[in-house]
Amino acid sequence: MSVNRHQKHLLVLPEDKANRQIANGFLLELSLNSRAVQVLQFAGGWGNVIQEFLHDYVPTMRKYPQTMIALLIDFDDYKPNFSSNEDRLNYIKSQIPDDLEEKVFILGSRTSPEKLKTAMNNKSFEAIGESLAKDCAENTNETWGHDHLKHNDNELKRMISSVKPFLFTDY
Amino acid sequence: MLQRLYVHNFRCLENFELTLKDLPSSLLIGKNGAGKSTIAFALEMFQSIGRGINRVGQLIQTKDFNRGRSNVPIRFEIEVLLKNQLYKYVLALALSDNFKEILVLEEQLLVAGSPVYLREAAQLKLYSNNIQSQTPQGKRMALFSNQFPLNSQLMSEFQVDLHLVALPLIQVQSEEDPLYIFKNWLSRMIILAPIPSLMTGESSGETLEPKRDGSNFGEWFSGLLSRYPAAYTQADRYLREVMPDIEDFQNEKIGKDAKNMIVRFAANNAEFSVDFKDLSDGEKCFFLCAVVLAANKYYSPFCFWDEPDNYLSLSEVGHFITTLRRSFKSSGQILVTSHNEEAIRKFSDENTFILDRKSHLEPTLIRLLSEIETSVKGDIVKSLILGDIKL
Repeated sequence: MSVNRHQKHLLVLPEDKANRQIANGFLLELSLNSRAVQVLQFAGGWGNVIQEFLHDYVPTMRKYPQTMIALLIDFDDYKPNFSSNEDRLNYIKSQIPDDLEEKVFILGSRTSPEKLKTAMNNKSFEAIGESLAKDCAENTNETWGHDHLKHNDNELKRMISSVKPFLFTDY
Repeated sequence: MLQRLYVHNFRCLENFELTLKDLPSSLLIGKNGAGKSTIAFALEMFQSIGRGINRVGQLIQTKDFNRGRSNVPIRFEIEVLLKNQLYKYVLALALSDNFKEILVLEEQLLVAGSPVYLREAAQLKLYSNNIQSQTPQGKRMALFSNQFPLNSQLMSEFQVDLHLVALPLIQVQSEEDPLYIFKNWLSRMIILAPIPSLMTGESSGETLEPKRDGSNFGEWFSGLLSRYPAAYTQADRYLREVMPDIEDFQNEKIGKDAKNMIVRFAANNAEFSVDFKDLSDGEKCFFLCAVVLAANKYYSPFCFWDEPDNYLSLSEVGHFITTLRRSFKSSGQILVTSHNEEAIRKFSDENTFILDRKSHLEPTLIRLLSEIETSVKGDIVKSLILGDIKL
């Protein structure tokens, strides 16, 4: 059966192919209820993620209130002090309608998945995704705590508290 | 786990090498006629040998020589990692001098680099691949190569009919014998290109050797349940995920040795029974997937599934592929083909192989997606739709 729109489920909207492959790897974690999550076609840029979210998924989230969505974006933060990722996060958050903000999570690598991959000894995107899911399943912070990912901490905590009860079977 | 497949001069496969080392699940994509199904035929040839077919004429035909190039041998090589030992099997076939018959030119099975047997034309040399040791009770005990380094010694030498493949002919000594381990792996390979209309659910026996078209599905399911009764629970769990109203499925006796599968559904305090043959094509594929998952749990086979997304609704394709990939993540190995964009998107650059063939006069080329640049940046599906992936 496809995702049950009348039960809690998570949509994942990736910015690009690399983020989609990370999401594919996330689904391979065996303790994850893969039928409660649907990875969508990538949007092609973080701007398009916002547009697609507003145009396609805001109406569907209101129609099916059990829907949550994770927007996987690149923060493209190449400034020496890594300060601009918060600007992008705040900008995207400002676009989310108030009635849905608790159900929308914005996550991504601080620069780009390619940089993350290089920083992780060329681990494949799928393998990175599997490690991230394993962290979620086992309450660890090994991969999420990586320099390129640790800025997600607040959004991640918010997401885990919302999705873990239905997304991980051994919860 | 299948590490490497090499095929030369067989249909469109010329000096063709597929390397699947460390890839528990992978995808083959490419245009129609690129050679995806020919890989399945090559694997099926090995599977047939494992299942005891030894007449060369039943495995290969003269039309299988690449573009009629019958003066060049057809060569198959397969390398498989089983119980931490690398098995390598080689079979070279050539047309006889009068161009009427295909004969065995060369055949060999090696384990960890040491020969189990070597054959040139009719002459076969059989080696002893075990270490004989003395037990405390004074009995001789054979300890096989998966536990100890090989020490190959020529044991016997004899002639084999040139029209026969030797592998099925050689007597295995025990279930620990490398010959048994390898033949058993070959015979239990699952190669599927199912035709649901041929899947009736009727059975008159039991087997662990499914046919490519799924036509002996009933026998396979019966054989699996007979050998591994707990497989029912595994299959049932998956079927409840995809068909929440399923109650159970039973093999009812309809004759002395014949059975027919009935599927019962229940909802809102009502029940409904359906003959398996009357299920939809997609639902039959759910059952096939359930048996593949159960088979993988109990004997970890290699599985080739040609277009597993066929017959499935769009909302199911992604989950179906992900379920298969998750199952084969830690045991067994699966290779699928697809033209379906949702199925393709469930794989990644490191496990997607592109096949390409410039024309019917040229051989199949293969590359990993991670090794090529696609013209439409980042989106393989768009590149496939535009037909501009060239190797």
